Amino acid sequence: MRFQQALREAFWLGIAAVFLGFVYTASTEKGVFSRSFTERKNDAPGTVSSPAMVSLDQAKTLFDGGDALFIDARHEFDYKLGHIRSAINIPLNSLDTRQDVLSTISKERLIIVYCDGAECNSSIELSAKLSAFGFSNVKIFFGGWREWEAAKFPLERQPQ
Amino acid sequence: MEGVGSREIPFGAATAMKHLLSNNYLSLLTRLFLGTLFVISSIDKVADPGAFADSINNYKLFPPILTTSLATVLGWLELLCGVSLLFGILSRGSSFLVSLMLAVFTLAVFSALVRGLDISCGCFTQDPAADKIGWTKIVQNLSLLGLGLFLFFSDTNKFTVEAYFRNKQLDDVR
Repeated sequence: MRFQQALREAFWLGIAAVFLGFVYTASTEKGVFSRSFTERKNDAPGTVSSPAMVSLDQAKTLFDGGDALFIDARHEFDYKLGHIRSAINIPLNSLDTRQDVLSTISKERLIIVYCDGAECNSSIELSAKLSAFGFSNVKIFFGGWREWEAAKFPLERQPQ
Repeated sequence: MEGVGSREIPFGAATAMKHLLSNNYLSLLTRLFLGTLFVISSIDKVADPGAFADSINNYKLFPPILTTSLATVLGWLELLCGVSLLFGILSRGSSFLVSLMLAVFTLAVFSALVRGLDISCGCFTQDPAADKIGWTKIVQNLSLLGLGLFLFFSDTNKFTVEAYFRNKQLDDVR
């Protein structure tokens, strides 16, 4: 009885919230109806200009080639626990403070960005920002650290 | 002997809980507190659903199209639940939803902490630099969840608009 009443009332509150939310946002052109959101959607990954994805095997081949620069987009703490050998760490949220590092990298250099794996989007966001900074050869290794570690490919761990 | 003792304790606790759940003033106070809190927390979300969508995106739990829809609705749901609690209208449904939201928020913060995300909560303000998530946030949310569940299981509806109209109807019939 208590649950039935609660569910019935919750249903109506939910319907009211959906109605009011969409009507208000549409009438004020905010959020999902704002112009900036539509523009942002056009810039989202998946469009022609977005960086290409590489698989674990491709990443390993590029790693063996020695020309590619691997960038770890994860938090510094995770990077220190273990990362792809010779990868540098540029966490997504500290990109602005790492401009000095970025300025030393040639704009044409092949850059492979990775983060934790399928559950994180930092690599996609970071690669989009790098492309926006003018780096022309950025790729994403979406399988990331988890696939690399599981495959027992060369890695480095920093002492705590 | 052990069996007798272990049976007595829950009985005592159950009686105390029953008293608490039927206390009119405690229920009123909890309703006003949670209601005010939800109304305040909803203002920023309703006013700027775009910034709220960014806050939800930081948790990296849902695809962007879902977060923008969620951001469009969730602020209003908080506002409606807050107002419902304050006035005591549809209070069973709103206390259910408030508890559900708090449980989901707690899980979201917990999962973000476990994944090592250093993000702002997006709970009361959408300022990306303010109100960072942490274990205190989990404790805070769980305490609020306790209050929400208390209201849901509370047996009293005195001092609510619902009760006022029900009593008025009964008086009219008499």
